[in-house]
Parts: sequence; C-alpha cells; structure tokens
Amino acid sequence: MVKQKSSRNRNVAAAVLLLLAIVSWSQADLFGHELLAQIAILAIFAMSLDLIAGYTGLVSLGHAAFYGVGAYATAGLASVAGWPMWAVVPSAMLLSALLAAAVGLFAVRLIGVFFIMITLAIGELVHAFAFRSRTFGGDDGLGGVPRSNLDAIGINLLDPAHFSLFTVIIAVLVYLVLARVVDSPFGQVLTGIHQNELRMRALGCPIRRYKLVAFVLSALFAGLAGSLTAQHNNFVSPELLTWTTSGEALIVVIIGGIGSLVGPAAGASVFVMLSHQLSSLTDYWMFFMGLFFVIVVLFAGDGLYGLFGRLFRMLSNVGR
Amino acid sequence: MQNVVTEVSQVFLDPTFLAIQFLNGLQLASLLFLLSVGLSVVYGLMNFINLAHGTLYMLGAYIGLSVARGSGSFWLALIVAPIFIAALAAVFHALLLRRMQAASPMKQILVTFGLIYVGLDVVRYIWGDYSHSIPAPDFFAGSVHLLGEVYPSYRLFMIGLGWFVFIALYYGLERTRLGAVVRAGVDNREVAMSLGLNIELAFFLVFCLGCGLAGLAGVVAAPVLSVYPGMDMSILVLTLIVVVIGGPGSLRGAALGAFLIGMFETFGQVFFPAIASVIVYALMAVILLARPGGLLPVRPS
Repeated sequence: MVKQKSSRNRNVAAAVLLLLAIVSWSQADLFGHELLAQIAILAIFAMSLDLIAGYTGLVSLGHAAFYGVGAYATAGLASVAGWPMWAVVPSAMLLSALLAAAVGLFAVRLIGVFFIMITLAIGELVHAFAFRSRTFGGDDGLGGVPRSNLDAIGINLLDPAHFSLFTVIIAVLVYLVLARVVDSPFGQVLTGIHQNELRMRALGCPIRRYKLVAFVLSALFAGLAGSLTAQHNNFVSPELLTWTTSGEALIVVIIGGIGSLVGPAAGASVFVMLSHQLSSLTDYWMFFMGLFFVIVVLFAGDGLYGLFGRLFRMLSNVGR
Repeated sequence: MQNVVTEVSQVFLDPTFLAIQFLNGLQLASLLFLLSVGLSVVYGLMNFINLAHGTLYMLGAYIGLSVARGSGSFWLALIVAPIFIAALAAVFHALLLRRMQAASPMKQILVTFGLIYVGLDVVRYIWGDYSHSIPAPDFFAGSVHLLGEVYPSYRLFMIGLGWFVFIALYYGLERTRLGAVVRAGVDNREVAMSLGLNIELAFFLVFCLGCGLAGLAGVVAAPVLSVYPGMDMSILVLTLIVVVIGGPGSLRGAALGAFLIGMFETFGQVFFPAIASVIVYALMAVILLARPGGLLPVRPS
C-alpha cells in the first residue's frame, strides 16, 4: 500500500517534469533544443545509474564505461562498419550489457568501497583502451556518426527540434520501463538488498544474481544514453569515458534525489543548465560547480524529489 | 624476422637495461607509496576515502614551485610545502571532514570529488594553465655511473626518500605510543575507544600527516614530472589502486601495492607498450578476484 502510494507520487512528479519538458520544447530556440536533448540524454544516463546506486545500493564510479561503450559502438558500427542505424542502436546497447555482465560477474562479489574502486578501475581501463586504440581514433575520437533515420514516420532527426523531442520521448520510455522494473517484485528484492543485505541473504535470496541482473539492465540503458550522445554530437571521444563523467552522473542522481528515478531526471536539467550558465559567466566555472557539488552532497538530503514530495503533501493538505 | 626477434630480446634481456628499468619502477613506487600511505591508513582508521588526496599532491607541487622560485632553494620547498598542506588538511578536517565521518562512502567520495574541481580551478587561477617545473637541487642535479649506464642521481634520491619514509613510519607505528593507538584503532575502533583511547585525535593526526606526505610527494615529483593543472588526476587513480590492492589500512600493504604498481606500470610500458595502460587495471581486477580485501588486509574480511 505504501509502495503503491510512493510510486503514484513518483509518477505524478514524472508527469509534471514531462509537462515542463514539453513547454520548454515548444519555447526553445535552436540552442535550447541542443540543451534539451543534452538534458534528456543525461536523464536517461542518470536514471540507469539510479537503478543500481539508488535502488540496489551498488555505487558505481565506472558507469561512464557503459555509456562510452554505447557511444563508441554506435560510432564504430555506423561510421566504420557501415551498419544501418536500426541495427546499430540495439547492438550498442547489447554490447554495453555484455561488458556489464562480464564485469558484474566478479564486481558484485565486492562491497562498499571495494565495489566503488573496482568500477572506477574498469571505467579507467575502458578509457585507456579507447585513448590508445587506433581503430577508434585514439584521443582524437571518431567523427561522422550518423543519426537514426525516422523519415518514414515523418521525423527528421537532423532537425534539432525533432531530435530533442525524440530524445525526450526515449527518456519517457526509459522512465516507464525502469519504473515498471523498480515497482515489480524484482525491484522490491533490489530495495530489500539495499536496505538489509544480510536479511535478504538469510531469506534465501540469491543476492549476487539479483545484483548482476540490475547491473546489466542498468548498463543496457547507459549504453542507450551513450548511443544517443554519439548521434547528438555526431562524434565520440575518450572524454565520454573518463571517471569524472561517472562522478558527475552520481552528483546528478543526488541533486534529484537518489532512489526516486524521476529525481535524477530532474537533476539532469539542473546540472546541464547550471554548467551551461556558469561556463558562460566565468572561465573558472569548475570552481563553482565543485562548491555546488559539495553543498549538494552535504545538504541535499533527498534532493529535488524530496522537496517536491514536501510541496505535494502541503498542497494536498491545503486541498483537504 | 628471426633476426629482429633476437635483436629485440637481446635489448630487452640485457641485464643493465633491466636494472635501469627496475630503478625506474622503484622510483615510481616510491612516489606512489608517499601518496597512498596516508590515504590507506586513514581509510583503515575511519573508513574514509579522500578523492581530493591527488589535489593535495598537486597543491604541494605548486606551493613547492612558488617557494623554490622565491627562495631559490629546493630543500626549503621540500620542507615548507608538506607543512603547508598538512595545515590545510587540518582546516579541511575542521570545516568539512569531521561531519563527513558518519556519512556513507558515496557521500564521502562525492564531497571530495567536488573538492577536486575546486582545487583544479584554484590552481589555474593562482598559477595559470601552463606547465611548470622545479629544477632538481644542485646536490642531485647530476648523474651517477651505474652498471656502465648514466642514471640521474635525483631519481636515486626519490627512491631513498621513499624507503626513508617507509622505515620512519614503520618505526612510528610499531614503536611509539601514537602508533599503538593507531594500530588499535585500525584493528577494532569500538574496543579501542571504549578503552579510553583518543581515536579521534589519532585520526586527525594521521590525516594531517598523510596529507602532508601527499604534499611532499608533489614537491618530490616536480623535478621529474611537470607541474600542471590536472597532474592530480593522472596519479589519483593509480594511488587508489595501490590502496585497494595493498589492503586499505595497512602500511606494509601500501608499500607492497606501490611496489607492484610501480613495477607493472614501468615494465608494462617497456615490454607491452600497446597494452601498458590497461595492465595495472587488469592486475587490480585479478588481485581483488583472488583476495577481495587486498593483499595484506588489516582485518580478515
């Protein structure tokens, strides 16, 4: 009962956020559409991270690896191998998931800081590989990544307005899938593992298997976000794979409210807008971003979603 | 083909060449040890991981740079910079870290992650975007003849300093009262506290000492590696790997981890340049697979 209520609140928040996205889409200029697409893609990435960090308690500092593999696979398969995009995107997602399965097999044995460190190391390994690889352009990256072709249904993804709407729709779909996952009995087990791993083990739950499935599922959507980024920028570079990308994604999750799914999507908009505004104001914008990170982590508590929840309760009390 | 292989193996298996590479490995290990030992023991005492440790290393190098330029003395820089960094660490401890001790590992990591960004721009603001270098002190500016090769004597100084700090810390940990308190705290914090030992104070001192050593590492590295914004990032991940594979909380673990990473990194670059950059990560994965608590864990996991 409690669970149903909280998932209803979450869906209301998601609807509000979607409404805001649609309003800003209709008002946006060319540059606005670029930012909106960036936000939607980061939202997908952050939601995928929230599934493991927020719901399962697996804090990863290497999530950028799966994001980057999705992006590089898209670039490699589309612009080097010349595959059609309808085959490229699912393959890119699958490759991310496969890497996650290989990594996860042993990473889920580790707990706490060891898990964080092994994911960091794996992320750096993938980064080092891309940085050195001649096939993937080394530190110059790879250009000429095409976008998906949806002309058949009247959508021209080369048009920024169409592309930003497309990314928002994908983000909504990802939200719906992940919401379904976390509300399912499977998702309840993940939450149980997060809250009390020993108790779940005592109940006879194969914890590592659950963690592994969550890890792989999360990587699948991180790969999708990476693929969209590659299509958005028409370009991939090792920068996508640095561990700071993973750290920033965790910050996004915290800004929005960890373990709320919709919160991280809202956090993505705050993050993109703030870094955009700050970098246009000062050359030393990282200083202020860093201070913002510290303040957010120290004082955010349950993030934007928590704020929304308090507001929502206040309003429903007034209405009563 | 056969000729090339023989030639290559002759160069690579030349004992002098290997010995020189071994010294290079020891030199990197020495630097990594100075960086990782504080991080490791602080983790062992308080389960606290400080990602901004690399930033303190960078700040140490820059402060050393300013002192060396202002006074013309490398040795003064080598003394002043670590003290300054230790004092900075004390301020950070009072302002921020004290309230972070009870927080989850994720929060600790992300707060110190934010500090990395802050530190990077502070350095860019004060010293600019350019790359700098501190000249080696006159006494170690030359080279020595070693096995018929010429080897920079400054690098030998680095190796010696690493050993010196290791022995000093080992002695401090095993023979002094503070060392005993630290060992008790790492072993079992609750029991040590209930026996009336001041673990908070020990943590504070170890934290400042560890950060000071990171500052020392910054100055020591400056004549060999250049001083630039972002120098913290390139060494931070290696340092974390050293801490993790050695077994957090363990002095000997940090030394062993630093030795392994120093060697694998150096010899990897020489023998397998194509995959050198991934070798250390693979090594970490293999070690954690076999021993999830690191090679020399303080507590059985």
